[in-house]
Amino acid sequence: MHPDRLTPEYLQSIQFPTARLGKRGVDETHVRAFCEWVETELIRLLNEKTALEQEVWRLRERVREADVVQPEDGHVQAVYILSRAQQTADKYVANAQEYSRDIAEDARRRREEILTEAKTRAAAILDDAHASATRDAATMVSAPVAEEPMTAERRQDLETELTYLRTFTQVCRTHLRAYLESLTRSIDEWEHAEHDAARR
Amino acid sequence: MDERRLKDSFARVAAHGDEVALFFYSHLFLAHPEVRDMFPVSMSVTRDRLLTALGQIVSDVSNLDSLVPYLSGLGRDHRKFGATPEHYPAIGRSLIATLAYFAGDVWDDELARDWTDAYTLVSRVMADAARRDEEQHNPPWWDATVVGHERRAIDIAVVTVAPAQQLSYRPGQCVNLEISQRPRLWRLYSMANAPRPDGTVDFHVKIIDGGQVSPVLGRGPGIGSALRLGPPFGSLVLDTSSANDIVMAAGGTGLGPLKAILEQLGHRGQSSTVPRTHLFVGARTAAELYDLADLEKMAASNPWLTVTPAVSHERGSPGDSALRIESGTVADALARRGTWRDHDAYVCGSEAMVTATVSRLTALGASPERIFIENFGWSEL
Repeated sequence: MHPDRLTPEYLQSIQFPTARLGKRGVDETHVRAFCEWVETELIRLLNEKTALEQEVWRLRERVREADVVQPEDGHVQAVYILSRAQQTADKYVANAQEYSRDIAEDARRRREEILTEAKTRAAAILDDAHASATRDAATMVSAPVAEEPMTAERRQDLETELTYLRTFTQVCRTHLRAYLESLTRSIDEWEHAEHDAARR
Repeated sequence: MDERRLKDSFARVAAHGDEVALFFYSHLFLAHPEVRDMFPVSMSVTRDRLLTALGQIVSDVSNLDSLVPYLSGLGRDHRKFGATPEHYPAIGRSLIATLAYFAGDVWDDELARDWTDAYTLVSRVMADAARRDEEQHNPPWWDATVVGHERRAIDIAVVTVAPAQQLSYRPGQCVNLEISQRPRLWRLYSMANAPRPDGTVDFHVKIIDGGQVSPVLGRGPGIGSALRLGPPFGSLVLDTSSANDIVMAAGGTGLGPLKAILEQLGHRGQSSTVPRTHLFVGARTAAELYDLADLEKMAASNPWLTVTPAVSHERGSPGDSALRIESGTVADALARRGTWRDHDAYVCGSEAMVTATVSRLTALGASPERIFIENFGWSEL
């Protein structure tokens, strides 16, 4: 009897019975039976080999596919998560920009309002000064007619006063200009500070 | 490569809008985290530009005469971002993955091959242009430092920088620049002077409310602070072959490149050989005419030059300067001077200002092919 599976050891140890009387060599029936069994074994081994090859091929495919992006795999999940994070960052930056734009526009509008108001006020002050100067001049012109001719001393006084008034309006203008400049500077600083704050 | 198939599948993909670029960059950064640092924090502008560029490439895919120069420009320009040949295959993989994801069920091996072929071609043209640029010893960017800052109006400044290495350019051209305080944010500025012996360059900076770069640059990034300049480019340059008289129209800080061209004309020496030039410079208010003092000096010393300032949002006036300020837009001021037939026109300013001025000039007899404006093209990417 042969074992379950064909082994090299069994092949080495095999001994066929000698043929019956009148014939030479080993017994033919035994040899034929042995060959049939070897054939069956060989078919079985070949089938097993094919199955294993298929298994190897299948596993290789799986490894290869893991390198390629598949729309349904985990990589897409990661892409999705990173995308949402990026959108959040984009939104924060956009909001900060919007905020700083609003503040800057507001500051610009207020600056223009303040400047316009200051200009109007400056014009009014100048008008007043002009009007009072005209009045004074008129008084000066009419005064001598009503009274006796002006003394040199009186004329000297009036001229001094006129010079004083001229200087005074000049000083007024200079002060006003300095005031306006300091206003512009403060607005610049204010704008700056809010920009810094917005950036932080 | 099947052009129809490429265009059809791209149209299908592009219908997903911003999601496409979002997927692409996330995919790229996951595969190559080291690349993330080459991009700004906020990616919305970058994504818009990617989609625009892809659309441009796909629509021009069979028109190699215009596609190749466009791609070469892109390739050279990307050197300043630190792009190297090794980056191209990685970008290709993420691009194909993105297309496959959004193309859905029309995606197959054949389409994958078409797109791979198309991308290989595109990246080869870009990488080749970058390599040739390098072989010509052009640096990927010019390091520079701020050497001067002058605030001319509440929101306008003139910033002077000194490049470490000589920057060669034609007057009227511009560069993308990046300041160290705002890394990865590149902005376009024109050189506002003709090349000087000391190599320094002026930029006229208008502070944009809510802007990320201009407020820092305009308020003064600090003397000595560092910045990078990309390679100079631009089509708004003097046509030296023309003998026509010149009319220039500048809106706001659009004056910068035109002033550089004026300086170039002034360098010709013999003033009789310089074309008669009339510069119209416009702003909203007189306070925003930030460069009048200089222009006045130029007009006084150059008999070929006439300067006319105009303000659109307040009444014109004799002003403090010798130049009388007119009322209205630059286009209005131009129109009051009659026709501009046989003139070369150079126009620079906001998009609205350029459009309005060009159409007015055409109506006033200037021939459209003699009107020069900046055409940014790929540089916007």
